[in-house]
Amino acid sequence: MATPYVELHAHSAFSFLDGASTPLELAAAAAELGYPAFALTDHDGIWGSMEFAHACKGFGVRPIVGAELTIAVEELVHVTLLVEDPTGYRNLCRLLTAAHSHTREDASRSAGQPWVTLEQMEEHAAGLVCLSGCAGEGALAGALARDDPATAAALGRRLLAAFGRDRFRVELQRPYWRGDRARNRRLAALAERLGVPRVATGNVHSHTRRRALLQDAFVAVRLGTTLEASEPRRRGNRSSALASPQAMAERFAEHPGAVAETLRLAERLRFDLTAELGYRYPGSEEEGTDRVLAEVCRARLDERYAGSRHRADAERRLEQELGTIRQLGLAGFFLLHRELLELAREVALEVRGPESARNVLPPGRGRGSSVSSIVCYLTGLSHIDPVKADLFAGRFLNDEVEAVPDIDLDFPRDIREKLIPRVHDRYGAERSALVAAFPTYRPRGVVRDLGKALALAPAEIERVAKTVGFHERGAEIARDVIAAIGAERAAAPGWRALLWLADEAMGLPRHASQHPGGMVISTRPLVDVCPVVPAAMEGRQIVQWDKDSCSDAGFLKIDLLGLGMLSAVERCVEEVGRTRGERLDLSRIPLDDEKTFRSIRTAETTGVFQIESRAQMQMLPRTRPENLDDLTVQVALVRPGPIQGGAVHPYIERRKRLRGDPEFEIPYEHCLLEPVLRDTLGTIVYQEQVIEVAMALAGFTSSEAEGLRRAMSRKRSEQAIEEHHDRFLVGAVGEKEVPFETAERVWRQIQGFSGFGFPKAHSAAFGLLAYQSAWLRVHRPPEFLCALLNEQPMGFYPPDALVHEAQRRGVRLAGPDINRSQVLCHVETPRRRAENTTPAPVLGPSVGEGVVRIGLGYVKGVCQEEMDDLVAARERDGAYRDLADIASRSGAGHPTLERLAWAGALNPLIGDVPGVRHHCGRSITGTSSGGGRREALWEVGIAATGVRREGGTQMALPLETPGAPALEPLGEWGEMIADYRSIGMTLGEHPMAMLRDGLAPELLCSADLERAKDEATVEVAGMVVARQRPETARGIVFMLLEDERGTVNLIVPPAVYDRRRAEVRAAPLVCARGTLERREGTTNVVVSEVRELERTAPPSGAARTPPQGPEPSLTAAAFAKAKRIARECEARRRAVAQLRAVTPAGHSFGRRGH
Amino acid sequence: MTPGVRRLYMPWPVEVQVDTEGVPLAVGGVGVAGVREEWLVEDRWWTLRRLWRHYFELALLDGSNVVVFRNSKGRWYRQRG
Repeated sequence: MATPYVELHAHSAFSFLDGASTPLELAAAAAELGYPAFALTDHDGIWGSMEFAHACKGFGVRPIVGAELTIAVEELVHVTLLVEDPTGYRNLCRLLTAAHSHTREDASRSAGQPWVTLEQMEEHAAGLVCLSGCAGEGALAGALARDDPATAAALGRRLLAAFGRDRFRVELQRPYWRGDRARNRRLAALAERLGVPRVATGNVHSHTRRRALLQDAFVAVRLGTTLEASEPRRRGNRSSALASPQAMAERFAEHPGAVAETLRLAERLRFDLTAELGYRYPGSEEEGTDRVLAEVCRARLDERYAGSRHRADAERRLEQELGTIRQLGLAGFFLLHRELLELAREVALEVRGPESARNVLPPGRGRGSSVSSIVCYLTGLSHIDPVKADLFAGRFLNDEVEAVPDIDLDFPRDIREKLIPRVHDRYGAERSALVAAFPTYRPRGVVRDLGKALALAPAEIERVAKTVGFHERGAEIARDVIAAIGAERAAAPGWRALLWLADEAMGLPRHASQHPGGMVISTRPLVDVCPVVPAAMEGRQIVQWDKDSCSDAGFLKIDLLGLGMLSAVERCVEEVGRTRGERLDLSRIPLDDEKTFRSIRTAETTGVFQIESRAQMQMLPRTRPENLDDLTVQVALVRPGPIQGGAVHPYIERRKRLRGDPEFEIPYEHCLLEPVLRDTLGTIVYQEQVIEVAMALAGFTSSEAEGLRRAMSRKRSEQAIEEHHDRFLVGAVGEKEVPFETAERVWRQIQGFSGFGFPKAHSAAFGLLAYQSAWLRVHRPPEFLCALLNEQPMGFYPPDALVHEAQRRGVRLAGPDINRSQVLCHVETPRRRAENTTPAPVLGPSVGEGVVRIGLGYVKGVCQEEMDDLVAARERDGAYRDLADIASRSGAGHPTLERLAWAGALNPLIGDVPGVRHHCGRSITGTSSGGGRREALWEVGIAATGVRREGGTQMALPLETPGAPALEPLGEWGEMIADYRSIGMTLGEHPMAMLRDGLAPELLCSADLERAKDEATVEVAGMVVARQRPETARGIVFMLLEDERGTVNLIVPPAVYDRRRAEVRAAPLVCARGTLERREGTTNVVVSEVRELERTAPPSGAARTPPQGPEPSLTAAAFAKAKRIARECEARRRAVAQLRAVTPAGHSFGRRGH
Repeated sequence: MTPGVRRLYMPWPVEVQVDTEGVPLAVGGVGVAGVREEWLVEDRWWTLRRLWRHYFELALLDGSNVVVFRNSKGRWYRQRG
């Protein structure tokens, strides 16, 4: 039977909270229901159109491109636009671009409602078919609903004039609302008067009826209210779920002509998004680019390989690569990247300043597979010599490559910030834009958004949100909910609704954002090939497609990525230049420094790029890297691919065997694999080794092998990989005569590798940065720590943990000081430090003379502008003398000064206060006594009355303030709490040291573990610095605790995790009991019980609550003692609760992509 | 409920005869002249009191206009329009 109906109006989740299915789900459902063609018409965007087009083609459904556009007439109304031809597509893109162009004009740059004027739409009507809009807010239906037939008729006439009789239709919908029939009768009558056909549409919002409930919840989320309160704005029923063509025809039984019109229109709407874009990148059509590229490379080769033993190899490789580039027509692509790098060089010079020590560093460096290309090396796009490092370029560039390859460039954050707008300037705002990214729903967001929509108790929502893990799905989230709020509450209808909604919502896009650095550049205006919209950051704009859609569109995507460690390294070099007068060229530091490698082998790598994680630290003492090649493997080894592929343990074991016996023979699965797996001791560690293994063992062509690798990198890759299985076995067993069992075993390793892995080239680039950062950590410790603190957030550890670890190594720190701190942290040299300044106590051997001074910018809640003014005024007019002085000339308002006072930064301005100034020995700020903060606060209250407003602060008169009265000092504990509250870290005594006396005596500290016996039962306590629950660890959670002497690794087995989810996932201070496990230089506690620290039993004999009156059996003395003990217990409980409230959240890690 | 106060739009049971597709033919013994509107309410699905009502606004042969609905249990009710 012929299909009676085609859907011409459907929303996917890319209508952002007004559509509850992915384009893929819609395409699959459309195919299942027998639709021959299907239109996706998301609100004011085509964000999901490329994904939809490819999905439809895969399912044999013809995709129709369109959008529901908002136009501003007397109100904001909708029309449905469908693309008929390339002109129409271009016009749609321009209209959508115009609709968004004004959406971020307010000061906060939050996204507003897109719209175009009727005139704009009239100018861009060619090639588009216009339907008159939906039942609720459609241009005509809306006016009729407001009982304004005159406006409806007038609008209808304008739309008819703009689009013509052939391309304007009156849209009928049947959402099963009261008034449907009347509305459609009136619309039909209007269509009659206008002389245009009617067309039926379904206004689909989900691909199944079940998902329509999520759509209800999304409406509430979008409106920021509850399901209950959003009732008038919701659809009221589930008829917006996709129905079959037959059901739709029956739904419009009164309007058979409108149903038939869907087929006639669909027949005309044949624009193919996958084939007719006409995108070109700059340089792709220029003459002579092959010659220019060859000249650049050959000239550079002469310099780089002069006198090198690698010269002949390099020449051979260059000619080979140039030949491939010529054949693929990619010379313009490489020259464009080179041009960008030159631009980056200019920007870097501006950002760093002409005198900067950083100028010896390149503006950026390559990452990813492009690092394997000699052309990239010679054009400056990579800093690794691929010939010397023996990098395989086939993954990046080969004769059969079908899409433009990726070149990813890393830049320090500050350079990247300026480079992106500069690229817009160079190529024009119309021809360059960032790639979009779509943050998707994950458990925490689901719980928060949907919990609010379901009107669940906010405190419960927060408790659950803090407990759920990043990768969890329904059943696991259900366990978390029970753990957080109890089984009884979890059984309430609202929470049950949330649990099944959560599974439906997971993975759907929530809003559009910008990709970290992917840029698209085009020869013709980008707005003709994809809509361009303003990004949240000023001066930036994004195309409406993400990286996958851009790749499917054949766009050349240039990744300008910001790499925190690169920024930190540059900051460090700058700081070294400032403090030591040394221009440090990191490309010239010795690459075999024994001290550096010793620190790596002993896992002294906190803060070091890529090898600071707990997993890396566990592995380093076992793999014992000795050179950069080892480090290259090390960086790639702790990745999901090698872990799941079973490479890790054989690699560690074979390294160990080789250390003991250099003659040890590596057991390869087959001799054919020896040449390709020699570097990694017979295991598959690098991404390109998959290609090489498939080629060596099964005779894959490079293109076939690349297809296998691509299959691995796709989402839901299992099926795609399995498609290569037969070919692999036929090749290995049939052609190469490999035993079947061996071939199967190797295939399983390849299959296991389907998680993410690094290419060797990428590892080499990252390995070098890992070494450089380790070298700086060892040889320039204060400057390195200072750089890390200034680049936060980055890395594995919060600042508090970085600081404590550095203090244990002897690095000295000092707290914020109004007369010494800069806005950022900096290193003070002895010459620069005041004589009376006392740095914080050193917990280990002192390292160098420099003291890391915490910047004023670290004080929470202060604004950067005020801190800039404050430091500038001090440097211009001299140090601040007292509170009145600072209030009268710094421009900082009262709230800011209060925060500075709490942080101890104003202590030096406090005059002598009898009984306070000299009696407290503890000096965590390195400035004055611990009693100073209260006095400073007191004086701020008198001296500083101004509140900063737009335009500045009304400064106070410099009147002398009376000294503070004798105030009770904060005490050590109070100071520590104030530190955490104000700067998120403490430089003084570790909180666990202060708590230690009141803890159970059997609780060991980290240093005690070194003396405990293997397999002994131990109990430890500490602050949680990091938690990790990798997908590859089968439910095991790794926790890192910190106490006053160091860190303790906890391994929490799944059974304990299930029992103690809330504590493991969210408690900032824990006690853990378990078995000590010591293996090859690593120490872990395998946990059998874990609880919050506050539950620690009070000292023996202490009452748990203060007694209310004397018990008859107690003597007065005994009662007084019991009361004192109870008071102490209560004070300790409160103290722990205080600490728990201010402790910085430990970093939680799952597998969050790459 | 407070004495003397009654809910507005409180539905009451009514006898409805339907055709094979569930469209009313007669309400309380009075024949249906035509269906003026038909709509569907599916709501409060996240609570224990889920709502599913298939509404019809009908012109009856006696000249009156009535609103009736069928609930998820197949029972018919009349409600003030």
